[in-house]
Amino acid sequence: MDFFLHLVNGGAGNLAAYLAAHVLLCLLPAFFTAGAMAALIPKASITRWLGRNARYRVSYPAAAAAGSLLAVCSCTIVPLFAGIYKKGAGLGPAITFLFFAPAGNILALAYTGSILGAEFAFARFVLSLLFGIGIGMLMAVLFWRSDASHDAQTDALFAKQASIGPAATGVLLSLVAVLIAGTLKLWPLTATVGTVTLPLPWAEAWQATLFDWVPFDAAKGEEGVSVQGSLLILLLLLIGSTAWKGLEDIVEGANRWTWVALCLTAVTLLVAALKLTPGPDALEVALTGRALAVGLALWSVLHHARRLDADAWRAWLWEAWRFVKQIFVLLVAGVFVVGVVRQLIQPEWIQNLAGRNDLMANAVAVVFGVFMYFPTLVEVPVAHMFLDLGMHRGPLLAYLMADPELSLQSILMVAAVIGRRKTFTYVGLVAVFSVVAGLTYGAWVDGVNPAGIAIGLAAFVGSLVALLGWLLRRRQAPAHA
Amino acid sequence: MKTVKILGSGCANCKKLEAVAREAATTAGVEAEFLKVTDMKAIMAYDLLATPGLVINDKLVSSGRIPTQAEVRQWMIG
Repeated sequence: MDFFLHLVNGGAGNLAAYLAAHVLLCLLPAFFTAGAMAALIPKASITRWLGRNARYRVSYPAAAAAGSLLAVCSCTIVPLFAGIYKKGAGLGPAITFLFFAPAGNILALAYTGSILGAEFAFARFVLSLLFGIGIGMLMAVLFWRSDASHDAQTDALFAKQASIGPAATGVLLSLVAVLIAGTLKLWPLTATVGTVTLPLPWAEAWQATLFDWVPFDAAKGEEGVSVQGSLLILLLLLIGSTAWKGLEDIVEGANRWTWVALCLTAVTLLVAALKLTPGPDALEVALTGRALAVGLALWSVLHHARRLDADAWRAWLWEAWRFVKQIFVLLVAGVFVVGVVRQLIQPEWIQNLAGRNDLMANAVAVVFGVFMYFPTLVEVPVAHMFLDLGMHRGPLLAYLMADPELSLQSILMVAAVIGRRKTFTYVGLVAVFSVVAGLTYGAWVDGVNPAGIAIGLAAFVGSLVALLGWLLRRRQAPAHA
Repeated sequence: MKTVKILGSGCANCKKLEAVAREAATTAGVEAEFLKVTDMKAIMAYDLLATPGLVINDKLVSSGRIPTQAEVRQWMIG
């Protein structure tokens, strides 16, 4: 029984620490940004580059952009993937889109960055982009025969043109500014502009109570809940309950609760940007550069949002709310389970299996990623747990590349659209590319001479190009005969 | 009697769209039969790039977004 309580406590502590610290400053604006991208960027502004007559120099980058900007949930990913494959640019760009979407979308980037570090998010982004295009091209060459004969329908689906209005652009840029101001750990955002001391005698006692409730061991990478954190959790619960009343029927118009929920969201972001330090008989509130920057960016969001027409901002808020409902609940459950599991895993196991950056460790990480299925974004706290337990960052990246791409669900979905043979080839390629990505990033982390890494990558890319060239020649040869 | 199809794999937006469409049919006084289409192949038979899709009498009227009740009423009557 004690052991069981210990496990539950581990889960609850992990959850509280996440809610209090990481999630707020990145996920709250990230949900709004993802919602704005889904609602305010007309799909036709990108899909028009994905028609069947698009040149490959245009269609591959466009497919990556579609993955990054349009696709956060399977509602968009599956139909767009099938559409690009069957009625548009073909197998290659469709695969690039499919591969890049889970790693390149704004939610994944913001979340990876805030939990595992900006450098790691950058590596995940760049390597996914490069390898997504690489795998797409390889698939296109391998299966050129069936690709050439894919059903000849009209190009009407991709012919529509649209552009993003100035108000929508302003909202998107301002939201990205909120995201950056809230998460980057750089001067002058971290500087303290001034301090106010509030006479709150219970602050220090409350902090002691919190540490008592959520005991933590910094050596194991665990985090406690601060006074500020407890305030943020309270605000988060308030947002949740008011948003339910205010955003559920937002499509038909806003009500009082909508404004309450939005104001609470802004307040939460501002509170999270302050620095609260409990002292004897008082609570010291430090006004940071970050709070000023977040405030400014929020004002900019409001300024541009007022110029959106009613349909647009309603759709924006609905999409944001939908992402929250769809992803946040699973994420909360996932973080809890990760906290429980962490109590059961011995760090030695992880260190023995994947503590070094070698082929074996990367392969193990990829196999784990393929056989484990975690809901959207839960792969990130899982990765964080492995990192704390001593996993090397190289295999960690390999795992993060493979896991969202190769869950059983996505394999079945892809197989339904493109058939089994192509799917297994795709799975194999992703596994190989993920291992290479892990080895590359791991070598960089280990401080291997960048020139050496460049030569290694160049050799890999070179052999790929040679293989592509050989396959291309083979494909042209029968045509001459 | 109209035939209304909701295209989508069962995500939150599809449920919302169905609720909006049913409400619109009731308020417009239009008799309608509702069908949910979840099979990907059947969905891709229509020209759409994002679900949810709304089909009234086999014509795709909206896709990738949730229309308002007023819009759906117009399509139902027209």
